[in-house]
Amino acid sequence: MSATTSRAGRTTAGIDYSKLIQPDRVHGSLYTDPAIFAEELERIWYQGWVYVGHTSEVPEPGDYVRKSIGPQDLVMTRDKDGQVHLLLNRCAHRGNLVCEDARGNSNSFRCPYHGWTYRNNGQLLGYPYNQGYGGKGKLDLAMGSVPRVESYRGFVFGSFAHDGPSLAEHLGPAAGEIDRLAALSPEGEIELNAGWLKHRTRANWKLLAENETDGYHPQFVHGSIFSVTGSPIGALYSDKSTAVTRNLGHGHSENDLRPEFRNFAEPMRWFGTTESRVPEYVAAMRAAYGDDAERILIEGAPHVMIFPNLFIAEIQVFVIQPIAVNECIQHATAVQLRGAPELNKRMVSQSIGSVGPAGMLLADDTEMYERNQHGVEQLRPEWLDLSRGMKRERVDERGLTIGTATDETGMRGFWSNYKQLMEEGR
Amino acid sequence: MNDKNVHGVVIGSEFAEIGVIVDDEGNGPRLRLEDRRTGRVRHVDALELEAIIWLPEGHLRQLLDPSADRWREDIGR
Repeated sequence: MSATTSRAGRTTAGIDYSKLIQPDRVHGSLYTDPAIFAEELERIWYQGWVYVGHTSEVPEPGDYVRKSIGPQDLVMTRDKDGQVHLLLNRCAHRGNLVCEDARGNSNSFRCPYHGWTYRNNGQLLGYPYNQGYGGKGKLDLAMGSVPRVESYRGFVFGSFAHDGPSLAEHLGPAAGEIDRLAALSPEGEIELNAGWLKHRTRANWKLLAENETDGYHPQFVHGSIFSVTGSPIGALYSDKSTAVTRNLGHGHSENDLRPEFRNFAEPMRWFGTTESRVPEYVAAMRAAYGDDAERILIEGAPHVMIFPNLFIAEIQVFVIQPIAVNECIQHATAVQLRGAPELNKRMVSQSIGSVGPAGMLLADDTEMYERNQHGVEQLRPEWLDLSRGMKRERVDERGLTIGTATDETGMRGFWSNYKQLMEEGR
Repeated sequence: MNDKNVHGVVIGSEFAEIGVIVDDEGNGPRLRLEDRRTGRVRHVDALELEAIIWLPEGHLRQLLDPSADRWREDIGR
């Protein structure tokens, strides 16, 4: 029996993603339909690898931090043996929230409702007045946990699927971008311990994910911060730029600005400064990496969106948390490079200037996200165009598709992966 | 207790809040621990602290069972 179409892509048999997602355009309902959002949670957020937190946020045994996978409330813990766990923040008794604080140190957690107590690996230690259950240890219950937890250079990802691709397979070439970031530390390690800002945003999460490597918007949306700070970054996102937008596969993408920085060959230009302003950092890098330090200091940090929620924007890390079809939270923090206190101070102050409460970068983007959400809720035209640069895409020496700095190559990679995940096994 | 002898801190989390003072009132120092949510106080001397340090993990976990001591049907408060 053939299904009947009631509206674009919506049939009596369900949602037909092949109709909604086409090579050069996507349908507006992808950002507004609660049924699609519900399916995304099941197929993307509760199946695939999702970034959760960084091991530097729980440096000591007993440390814990509240985290999330979409609307799921998680507690990331480090047990006495040093292992990191992702627990669902829910008591096995009556489902109450177990941990309320954003962070703390406790080897065990006590639910405030009836006093059930757990180890920080989720194991039930006991419950008050145990005769009501026939004595001690009579219940085979525990806090829920995310079944697969893997980390890459301290970046911890979780997957609710018991089986599936490894994290290394999921990351693919995007892992190299995390390596690039870590290489900016004289000790080769990143820390995300500067504290997090949370921005509630009335927009669908995909508008953010797409925007992160959209090189077409910065000169318009971020013109004010570029002019106030005298930043040379704006010019990198022009049609004359030699920078490229790269589809890294699995929905990941980047704006690779290295070709521009190599042309200038000035260490620290990527950071908007010169090496004379950060002499201790540059000296530490040269001591650590020798001749290769020059290349690292010239090429700078990555600008990469790791599907579905981790955005490394040179000096900041953003995490996108979807809450509802038209709402998400952006979590932002400054990157901290181990062994680089001189640069880390500047990382924090630059981050405050761009994503802080009075910051000039994220506020501009968020204004666009919310206007965009309002716009896609209008009925006509039904589609969003994705065709920019389609006809001038190339394949690079690694076999990855690249476009120019302002092309929508990253978005097309995002949607290609999204479509595959939403259709898999249907 | 003389003020000069009070070196208090609070070891607190969302789960418990304990006031810790080094108590020099006796002939030797000891810790004065106060459960700030109930006011219950216990003094712990050096030998008792050593015993806590040497408790096997499994033993400590047993003590954390709410029914182990504090919340038991057969013990009056």
